[in-house]
Amino acid sequence: MPVLGCVCLRPGLRVDDSWGPRVLWCVVSRCRSEPEGHVPPTTLPALPGVSLPHRLFYRYQDLAPQLVPLSYTSRPDVKVPYELIGSMPELKDNPFRQRIARVFSDDGDGHMTLDNFLDMFSVMSEMAPRDLKAYYAFKIYDFNDDGYICVWDLGQTVTKLTRGELSAEEVSLVCEKVLDEADGDHDGRLSLEDFQNVILRAPDFLSTFHIRI
Amino acid sequence: MPSDDQLNEIIIEVENVPSRVVPEKTLVNSSFSMVSSISDIDVTDSQSFGNSNAKKSTQLLRFSSSLNESFSQTLRRSPGSVGIDTSHENIQGQKLIASLIPMTSRDRIKAIRNQPRTMEEKRNLKKMVDKEKSKQSRHILELNCCAQCLNSFSRAYRRSKNSLSELLNYISLWQKTFKVIGGKFGTSVLSYFNFLRWLLKFNIFSFIVTFSFIVIPELTVLEKNTLQFTGLEFFTGAGYFRDTVMYYGFYTNSTIRHGSSGPPYNMQLAYIFTTAACLIICFFSLLFSMARYFRNNFINPHIYSRGITKLIFCWDFTVTHERAVRLKQKNLSTEIRENLSEIRQENVKVTLNQRLIHVSAHLAAWVVSTGVAVACCVAVYYLAENNSEFLKNHQNPGAVLLLPFVVSCINLAVPRLYSLFRLVEQHATPRREVYILLIRNVFLKISIIGILCYYWLNIVAQAGEECWETLIGQEIYRLLLMDFVFSLADSFLGEFLRRLIGTQFPTSLGLQEFDIARNVLELIYAQTLVWIGTFFCPLLPFIQMITLFIMFYVKNISLMMNFQPPSKAWRASQMMTFFIFLLFFPSFTGVLCTLAITIWRLQPSADCGPFRGLPFFTHSVHSWIDALSQRPSYLWVVWICRNLIGSVHFFFILTLLVLIITYLYWQITEGRKVMIRLLHEQIINEGKDKMFLIEKLTKLQDMEKRANTSSFTVERRDVEQTSPLHVREHGAAHDLRFRRSVQEEHPKV
Repeated sequence: MPVLGCVCLRPGLRVDDSWGPRVLWCVVSRCRSEPEGHVPPTTLPALPGVSLPHRLFYRYQDLAPQLVPLSYTSRPDVKVPYELIGSMPELKDNPFRQRIARVFSDDGDGHMTLDNFLDMFSVMSEMAPRDLKAYYAFKIYDFNDDGYICVWDLGQTVTKLTRGELSAEEVSLVCEKVLDEADGDHDGRLSLEDFQNVILRAPDFLSTFHIRI
Repeated sequence: MPSDDQLNEIIIEVENVPSRVVPEKTLVNSSFSMVSSISDIDVTDSQSFGNSNAKKSTQLLRFSSSLNESFSQTLRRSPGSVGIDTSHENIQGQKLIASLIPMTSRDRIKAIRNQPRTMEEKRNLKKMVDKEKSKQSRHILELNCCAQCLNSFSRAYRRSKNSLSELLNYISLWQKTFKVIGGKFGTSVLSYFNFLRWLLKFNIFSFIVTFSFIVIPELTVLEKNTLQFTGLEFFTGAGYFRDTVMYYGFYTNSTIRHGSSGPPYNMQLAYIFTTAACLIICFFSLLFSMARYFRNNFINPHIYSRGITKLIFCWDFTVTHERAVRLKQKNLSTEIRENLSEIRQENVKVTLNQRLIHVSAHLAAWVVSTGVAVACCVAVYYLAENNSEFLKNHQNPGAVLLLPFVVSCINLAVPRLYSLFRLVEQHATPRREVYILLIRNVFLKISIIGILCYYWLNIVAQAGEECWETLIGQEIYRLLLMDFVFSLADSFLGEFLRRLIGTQFPTSLGLQEFDIARNVLELIYAQTLVWIGTFFCPLLPFIQMITLFIMFYVKNISLMMNFQPPSKAWRASQMMTFFIFLLFFPSFTGVLCTLAITIWRLQPSADCGPFRGLPFFTHSVHSWIDALSQRPSYLWVVWICRNLIGSVHFFFILTLLVLIITYLYWQITEGRKVMIRLLHEQIINEGKDKMFLIEKLTKLQDMEKRANTSSFTVERRDVEQTSPLHVREHGAAHDLRFRRSVQEEHPKV
């Protein structure tokens, strides 16, 4: 189905203070069958200003103007390569940009379609629920993609966070301490439930796991 | 993910093992669901989707990483080819679809939205659910037109609500600036600006209400202003401004009527009811904001005071500038090192002497700070008392500015004195230091306002001067303006000077950090003054609006030029909860008490203002009630006023009810804490179970392997296939044994 076509149907969808997947709502609503009384696209009024779907799409298109067509009616299978995603101003200095792109891309290689792009910014927006954010944060910190955050994942996380300022001994001490504090079932690695427990006790998480666009 | 599938198979196999090997499996399962249900009850999101339906749906659709992957693969295929699959992995998926079907379409869309899947999967899921639902509902009759009407009405209502909220968010102020500030300084500094914007909304609302209901009617019956205008009025608020709509004294006490048949507008009632309405709406909105922040930010505070895990997992993704990110990384490393060294030092004993020294230092600091605050209050009181004589001696109209000047100087100097105490005192944690500093500053500011209110209400109001309300209004205006001028001077001069000192001179001071606590307290102080002053000076919210607007830009520019990002992790949400609590508890309740005393106890001045000549302010309402009781159709209003609002028994019973409900909720919370502790222990036990079972399994596989190697080579292929699993499980068991030995070396509570 034409993604951009139905994205334009519901203009005026908000960005920062509303949850991104309202975009999904419009996408999904277009897919409903016509007899349910869905208003055809031409008769919906346009609200002032540029709406979220427009803005996200234009940002996506700006990344690779030659690659991304302006009209999605033919359902092109276009992937913007990771190098361009990682050079976005919102992501270019983030220590985890590679992991973010990998988690949200289809094949785990960091090349993102428009759907992946919208997914990413909807989860990282301000009003996504805590559970959803915790789930994706868990996937981002799980460097070897085995479904658990083990000691090696923690070491990678700490190294990326501190940019090599800590010595190897300090890094392993930190990992040991994190496992002590957070590993609830004492199996030597953090499961999603352990991670969600940690997030429960960190009320700042909702506001820090957030990318403004 | 092959390991998860194999894990599933292991679990299936284990379930087939006779029950004496698996004694607590059923208990484990139930504890999982209990844990998830309890944590669902506790974890509610800041933008709660509001109703129990959402909670029910999150309970049903609790997702875990291991079992959903195969269902995702199913969803990624074309939905038409999905049949009823009875394999173990898809039973979860079928449960998901079955739970989605009976929901209303709005709840269903919300539930699908909350699923951690890609958009394509969510689309296919919705298609599948719709298909199943249409299959089922084929037998249901068409909805009658009443339900259809209701449906279309609710849809239209939802659409209009959506577009209204989008419009409101579209015209929301300063979005871009917030992004820049957040990118450079992080969420902690942003919380100050958020707080400023939130207070601005309060003031805009108060201004709109007072302007429409009090000022505009008064403007229609304007009297001539005979006084001279000099420029000094902007600072003193006296002079020309005395006879304008700015102050209470100018307002008429008559019932405004335009034309002989126009509707009457009772100015007295309008004045008192508008002020009451403003305050009531502010009260409820403060209460709800505070409750929301408490609910989100005080989940189990006793379990977790400081720890390294939060530092690791709560990286601030909003920071986008390269230099800021690098600085943040450096600060994080420093903090981690400090945290590690703290743990090493935890075992260091503190001698009795040192403890005595610490306690005496604390005591001395508290005595000095309280003494300074009390001394300042006494000084302010005596200055206020002698101010009138001083004013009579000095004819200069600018002499009224002496008292506000002194108060602002106190507010500038004494908090910085309090900050110096940290050189002498040593606190257990930096957080306690911040809280104690905040409490001292709050005590200072609130006692100054308190002493001024006491002076105004006891001395000025009963001194028999004409138009004492206008005098109080002018005092508050001057205080507010002087505070604003001092803040501007502090930003323009003080912070720039500090930057020059920090960067030009060869000391290692560097740039300063934004002191969030002090700035927020200044905002709270100003807002308290505005709330008190709105009754005496109805244009005060407008003035505060302009002040806040200008302060935003000044602070923003100063921040960008003179400050560096904060070095320590600042718990922004806990601090915001504390600030809003401060705004509610000493500040707003103090305002309510002051205004209550004014309205119920004091006598209005005899020849100015809307209540002139009445013995009490509330007499206007009483006479209105008496007038209403003559009309038979409004007797219910009279009954409510006399028996509910006017009677003591009603409030007594209400208070008793509230206390009982609070006690019940407190007991429920205590019970839940006990439950959480028990469940936590159960999780630990279940982890030990898992270790035990995996060891057992590896032993069984060892035995099987030994049995197989003694038979044909064909079976060696099978062994090789299971050996990766065996090696991994062996590795896991090795890991677990290592963890267990570490646990035994460092026994934890």
